[in-house]
Amino acid sequence: MEVKLWQAVQAILNGILTGALYSLIGMGMALIFGVMRIVNFAHGAFMMLGMYATWMLFERLHVNPYFGFLAAAAMLFVLGYATYQGLLRRIADRSDFMQILLTLGISLILTNGVQLIFGADYHQINFGLLDINVRLNSHVSLNLPWLLAFGITLVLGVGMFLVVMKSRLGRALRAIAQNRYAASLMGIDVMRIQALSFGMGLAAVGVAGGLLLPVFYLYPGAGDQFTLKAFVIVVLGGMGSIGGAAIAGVVLGIIENLTSLYWGNEWALVVDFIVFLLVLSLRPSGLFGSQRV
Amino acid sequence: MTRKRALIAAACFVLCLLVPLVVDQDYQLNVLFRITLFAGLGLAWNLVGGYAGQLSLGHAAFFGIGAYGLVLFNEKLGLPIWLAFVLGVVAAVGAALLIGRVAFRLRGPYFALSTIAFAEVLRISAKNLTSITGGDVGVQAPALFDTHPSQWFYVSAVLLTALAFTVTALIVRSRFGYWLQAIREDEDTAMACGIDAASTKLRVLAISAALTAIGGGLYASQFFFIVPDQVVGLEISNEIAIIAMLGGAGTLTGPLVGAVLLETATELFKSWFQEAHLLIYGVLIVLVVLFLPEGIVGTVARVWRRRKAGS
Repeated sequence: MEVKLWQAVQAILNGILTGALYSLIGMGMALIFGVMRIVNFAHGAFMMLGMYATWMLFERLHVNPYFGFLAAAAMLFVLGYATYQGLLRRIADRSDFMQILLTLGISLILTNGVQLIFGADYHQINFGLLDINVRLNSHVSLNLPWLLAFGITLVLGVGMFLVVMKSRLGRALRAIAQNRYAASLMGIDVMRIQALSFGMGLAAVGVAGGLLLPVFYLYPGAGDQFTLKAFVIVVLGGMGSIGGAAIAGVVLGIIENLTSLYWGNEWALVVDFIVFLLVLSLRPSGLFGSQRV
Repeated sequence: MTRKRALIAAACFVLCLLVPLVVDQDYQLNVLFRITLFAGLGLAWNLVGGYAGQLSLGHAAFFGIGAYGLVLFNEKLGLPIWLAFVLGVVAAVGAALLIGRVAFRLRGPYFALSTIAFAEVLRISAKNLTSITGGDVGVQAPALFDTHPSQWFYVSAVLLTALAFTVTALIVRSRFGYWLQAIREDEDTAMACGIDAASTKLRVLAISAALTAIGGGLYASQFFFIVPDQVVGLEISNEIAIIAMLGGAGTLTGPLVGAVLLETATELFKSWFQEAHLLIYGVLIVLVVLFLPEGIVGTVARVWRRRKAGS
């Protein structure tokens, strides 16, 4: 009995650690949706780019992924800014139908482009740190890479939240989220701020990608399931709510780990989607109210 | 559609039916089967995505239910093969009513997201329930035709496309079709005019799902062996949507043009790029969204109308 209880505790703790990374991915998605009203179907594909960038740095230049993720984030910020200015900006006034299709197209190009360049092989990196576990008692232990990722995510997630809530840029973001037209009348350069927020949203998945690399397999389709998870998180947290997405990510992490424990890992994604469909049909504004950004 | 155009369309379909008299190589017939099948699927998608303006990215769900319905009702329950085929289509309609009820209550991107979620639930469940579906190992599909299968599969794909084309042509000029287009243009105004938007969307999704499931059943039997990733995967959903968008969503002939172009391009790309042949999908989507938002047929029709008006 007691063993079973500790198993559940372990699953919940793992869920919180995984969930923190989900939160970061979801917060990026929520920021983009809140400010731009774009559902970014390329979210996971950009994360995969972040993973490949961190991986290249590790393989070629022996840069530790726990520094390399910063480079991945910077790269994705620039890429996001450029993608907005080059592509998304041109269809800003079109229906969400078209915007979804465009980001879907970008996602297919990224995934298959990477496959063309790097091949479809799986990669996994290995260094000493990865096997270290922190034992809490005889039944519960935490894996050091996940703990590190959790700490970094916590700092950056809080930082991102503060930027959105406290800074001048954040105020502009929230103004656009509330009313794009009125914001432009108040002297906010809407296009520039939207480009910045797309860059920030992608920088968040760049960080998540870099931190996932040590604990995950790398292949061109690695990001796909995270796009879907990000949808679930954003809907769960209330479309466009960054704080909601942060909580929803952790909730999703715990749900997944408990599912894995009791039904098996292969059902985790199914449960994700069932939660998603249930939330949509029962409480479409999300579990945590309907406030935006 | 005028009488003259209906006659032209009928003549074209009869000509397509006669192709097996000239072409007798299995490979060529199989490529033609794929093109015509996806033309039919594109037409089915077009009812929901083009005329009603609801972006479905989960049509693989209905395709897969048609495919697995045929296999499972026949193999597991021992029902006659054509009955199993019909039951697969009925199951897809049931699924469409279920998902539509959840997804159509909401606007904007929610519908697209829910269709993906629904298709993925089915795909992963099919992978995991190995005792029923065979999982990733796959399952053998029963043969619908014993003699000259390539010829008959091609002919049935042409018939499916002709059916989808006729259904679309009839709907577009009906009261029901105008309701759909009113909902696409402005759902609030449509409702203010007394259109029951929820039930209209639900009905068109059911029709679309039935046609898609017929395609799924044909595909499974023709392919002889199916696995979940192949018949319920996001790839199928994307392929169907891209075909209709490329040719022109909301146009009658758009999906036909889209299917011919995309399937030919895919066939060529497969030999050049092999693994990354989906790259062409991505490039085409981006190009269509940026430069041809009305698709090929839609753009040509607009230019044509303008010239006619000008002269």
